[in-house]
Amino acid sequence: MAYWPHWLVVVVVAPLVGAVLAPVVGRGRPKVVALWALAAMGVTSLAALNLIVRVAEDGPFSYDMGGWEPPVGIELRFDEFGASVGIICLLGMLALLFSYRYAEHTLPTERVPYYYSLMLLNLTGLIGFVVTGDLFNLFVFMEILSLSGYALVAVSGERIAEMAAFKYLVMGAVSSLLVLFSIGVLYSVTGSLNMADVAARLGDWGARSPAMLALAGLSLGFMVKAAIFPVHIWLPDAHAIAPSPVSAILSGLVVKVGVLGMLRVYQIFYAAETLDLTGLNTLLVWLGAISIVMGAFFAIFQEDVKMMLAYSTISNVGYIMMGLGLASSYGLIGATVHVFNHALIKATLFLSAGAMIYRTGYRTLHDLRGVGKAMPITTIALSIGAISIVGIPPTAGFLCKWYIALGAFQADQPFFGVALVFGALFIFVYYIRMVNAFYFQPATHPEIAEVSEAPLSMLVPVIILATLCLVMGILGRIPLSFIEPAVTRMLAPLGG
Amino acid sequence: MIEALWNNLDYAASVVLFLIGLYAVIAKNNLVKKFMGLNIMETAVFAFIVALGVVEGGDAPIHGPDAHPPFTNPLPQALILTGIVVAVSTTALALSLIIRIHRQCGTIEADELREME
Repeated sequence: MAYWPHWLVVVVVAPLVGAVLAPVVGRGRPKVVALWALAAMGVTSLAALNLIVRVAEDGPFSYDMGGWEPPVGIELRFDEFGASVGIICLLGMLALLFSYRYAEHTLPTERVPYYYSLMLLNLTGLIGFVVTGDLFNLFVFMEILSLSGYALVAVSGERIAEMAAFKYLVMGAVSSLLVLFSIGVLYSVTGSLNMADVAARLGDWGARSPAMLALAGLSLGFMVKAAIFPVHIWLPDAHAIAPSPVSAILSGLVVKVGVLGMLRVYQIFYAAETLDLTGLNTLLVWLGAISIVMGAFFAIFQEDVKMMLAYSTISNVGYIMMGLGLASSYGLIGATVHVFNHALIKATLFLSAGAMIYRTGYRTLHDLRGVGKAMPITTIALSIGAISIVGIPPTAGFLCKWYIALGAFQADQPFFGVALVFGALFIFVYYIRMVNAFYFQPATHPEIAEVSEAPLSMLVPVIILATLCLVMGILGRIPLSFIEPAVTRMLAPLGG
Repeated sequence: MIEALWNNLDYAASVVLFLIGLYAVIAKNNLVKKFMGLNIMETAVFAFIVALGVVEGGDAPIHGPDAHPPFTNPLPQALILTGIVVAVSTTALALSLIIRIHRQCGTIEADELREME
């Protein structure tokens, strides 16, 4: 075996080691621990880059942990969907860099190492979730990232932070249990936990009712994680209260766990060909459409900037779920690429909003009026993010939404293409409100004009992300054509 | 129907436990009780998965001169060991959150907390 599949272990283990050692390394030295965390993510990113180049050249590959071959051993698998490890590493690096000043400012010194430890654990969970090929492993990584996520929400110490975290924890734990229960059911039917193996055996045995039960449990569990309407109620508080770098990770990546989980489940059940998934697809499309409109509708009435962004996440996950449910190649490509692009855009928005809150201490639109003159670069970055998320060309948001709309027409459901455009109009309204408040309205607090631009460690991540939002819009063909073989492979059993 | 339930009594029992737990999570007002409901749900899922591996008259699957098949399936038990670790950490985190909520708001009743927001 060549040496490079070992990188697949490195991407999971490097951040884990970093997380465990962070409290030891950083005892009383908050600056050192930030660098330590960055170094751990640096190693991970290098490994991830190597893997992505490999998968683009040679296609998917897998690694047998401890030399035990699947289905007995635990398999790590890297395919085109696994390339989301790249975006996880990128956002992880930038959020950690952003935290350098932010954590120091908002947290007591003795807590800072634990904050970095939780961040790295969360990223470990995310990466592991994406690369594992084993169902139970999937559950374990999901729990790692969920538990660290609950704790990270409570970290900010704001008045209702613990309540938000508790609400998130209860809903998250129930959904995790549903997933575990369904994994148990799948194991009882197939006697295997390896995903590819489960798919093959399900196909052979065609046990319809247990498979249906498992599918229902998995879908419901992952829908809660993805915060699809009507199980979205935990999201706005949790994402708005968390510290801004954490919000960027939670909103950009952690909710995508639900989406990527659905993708995994779909890969199993499409390959097994025992069940007709049309009903579930219709449900997903409808819930996606409702989420788009509801998320946008509630966002319009928010005053708090981060609350607005949190509701906008619900809309955008709605777009992704809709693309997934359309089950046409354009829709699916659009949905998977939107997983990447929305992560970029939402991180831009949350981090630039976080920089504003850091400098001014205000967080409502009313109080933040006129901030555009005081912090020009941050506000421009936020505006680029806003334009992207509405989906105005030539930004990153446009291409995926265009593809999802094309997918709706391809699947002969033009109504949803129209619903999508309608939702985008709603979203346009509240982002315009935001940009308007920052640039064109007289300042509520005169001292806001005295505020200086964000520090360099915050400005750099924000600028990089905003630039990427534009670049991904212009070079959008690259991720689209990168993901295409995976989507074709997944939809092959449908004959499309 | 009754026959099928009787034959799969272990599965039926864990489903009932799961639903009792879910009821407590949704309907109880006290945060600690809500969380106990969650613990009941966890136990139900664990019991279900362990029951999957049971073999009639099966022995513990330990190699040695006295080992006689049939053996019970050890894999579900190993899985649930991991599951219990996860459940313990969830419990610890939730209880510490409840303590901090009590410190800040002076109550852990969900309706009173909602009024405070």
